[in-house]
Amino acid sequence: MNDALLSLVTPLVAALIVLTGPAMTPRRASVVVLLGSAFSLAAALLALQTVTASGATQTLNLGGWEDGLAIRLRLSPLSALLLAFTALIHLLAGLYARFSRFASGDDFWVLSAFLHTALAALWLSADLFNLYITLELIGLAAVAMVALSGPKAYQAAADYLLLSLAASMIYLLGVVFLYSEYHTLDVMQLASVSADSARTRLALALITAGLMLKGALWPLHLWLPAAHAGAPAAVSALLSAVVVKGPLFILWLVWTEVAPADLAREVGPMVATAGMIALVAGGWAAMRSPYIKVLVAYSTVAQLGYALMALGLLMSWQIPQMHIALWLFVIAHGLAKASLFMAAGEMQGTLGTRRLTGLRGATQTVPIAMFAFAVAGGSLIGLPPSGGFLAKWVLLEPILSQPQNWPWAFGILLGTLVSAAYIFRVVVLAFDRATINPPDTRPHLMGHWLALLPALIVWGMALLGEQLIGLLAGGGV
Amino acid sequence: MSSLAANSIILYLLVAVALVMLGLYGLLVLKDPIRRLIAINIMGSGTFLTMIAFARRQDPPDPILHALVVTGLVVAISATAFALRLILAARESREAATSGSTEAEDE
Repeated sequence: MNDALLSLVTPLVAALIVLTGPAMTPRRASVVVLLGSAFSLAAALLALQTVTASGATQTLNLGGWEDGLAIRLRLSPLSALLLAFTALIHLLAGLYARFSRFASGDDFWVLSAFLHTALAALWLSADLFNLYITLELIGLAAVAMVALSGPKAYQAAADYLLLSLAASMIYLLGVVFLYSEYHTLDVMQLASVSADSARTRLALALITAGLMLKGALWPLHLWLPAAHAGAPAAVSALLSAVVVKGPLFILWLVWTEVAPADLAREVGPMVATAGMIALVAGGWAAMRSPYIKVLVAYSTVAQLGYALMALGLLMSWQIPQMHIALWLFVIAHGLAKASLFMAAGEMQGTLGTRRLTGLRGATQTVPIAMFAFAVAGGSLIGLPPSGGFLAKWVLLEPILSQPQNWPWAFGILLGTLVSAAYIFRVVVLAFDRATINPPDTRPHLMGHWLALLPALIVWGMALLGEQLIGLLAGGGV
Repeated sequence: MSSLAANSIILYLLVAVALVMLGLYGLLVLKDPIRRLIAINIMGSGTFLTMIAFARRQDPPDPILHALVVTGLVVAISATAFALRLILAARESREAATSGSTEAEDE
């Protein structure tokens, strides 16, 4: 637990140093925050090692209060893995922001460190009200980061903030109803007392609606493209890779632990259907988008459909494969999407256009960034042996083994087809060397290589496949 | 202080639900961002009123719910202040863009 707390506190300390340190230039701030991320990653890996070695979930009551009054933190293999994942993404995005020529804004450093802290607190919380607080912290940091791209993004940031506030209020109302019924906010205590009742159903419906709005899960995703596409590339990478996963984590926590199993079984197919529609609708919107970053943002909506589908099937069948599939998707998508957004940012900066048609001949003018885009896209499509393939394979296996489940497999295949369509739409344009769109500036190779890095890591996930599956196979938490 | 009768708690809860619904309706229907922000705050008042009403079901009132309301109010106030500043900044930038001669759209 101490390692996990260290992983949580390090970015906070880094942020405070940046805020209060004397003569803090953006360059120094970047060094402090990058060191903080690296240290946090190391601590998270240590925590992961201890928690898997001991094989038991560790809990901590903050302030030493008794159960029921204390805010409880909990370290499970999954939360340790997510801590490490968050730190890794922050490190990659930070490296990119530090060395890319396209500025992310001087305040990027302190905000990203705050975001990192809030996310780490979310993965470790096992208390519904504390989760609300972390959601608000994440929301505020994320909105401020969207506004970093300057006055033209203020509108998108303001809309994002309003929706995010409304979503948290709806979530909080649901939490209050749960408390009024069971007199506890602690997830583990709720798990043992919760029963099917009208008030529980109302509470769960409110919590689910709030979280789906926060997490841009279909059909409450409409705010996402403007916010994610409007932000600087490094920020978009963070938003799509980790921020939308926070509400998803709480949704998973609520439906697999707090909700009575029978109710979860009943609601599961609806959630999975929403995921399937998200896959197709998001993919279709991505395919028709005229702008590069909007395409990538819609692809987040579509890819979250896979995670939602895995969650829905986990709820209705309650089998551990779906749990594994869900979190593999989250990690594979996070890495691939970070790469896609950074590559998109590099290409649109170098080629001087936000339009997709400007990518004509990109394989010649910005070959490395385009390669990163294609490689990361391969993982989104699920080409073997990428992380996306691994996740999809785990998801498909139990579906294909039972003939009555084949309609779900059809949904996944349709989703794959649409993902392939929007990725190849870009790749085909990039190979069009007959009418090249000449670059405005000479490509700045460092940024391109750093955009490629997460994509290579996601393809490397296949090498770790067995360990990751073993780690997640603990089931539940 | 004694606990409130069940009827009056239900009355408070009904008022709270009405506030939440009013806020939600405003959020869906209104266009002006400041009005929408006020709508969200009305929703928040409804949520907090629910908490206080539930707290009074017992004697003495449930201190945990009171603590949650205080925390929630702090979060709501800071978020509202941030939202107001951001909305004003967005408005200023929009006005600057429309008045600033023929500033072409990107592309």
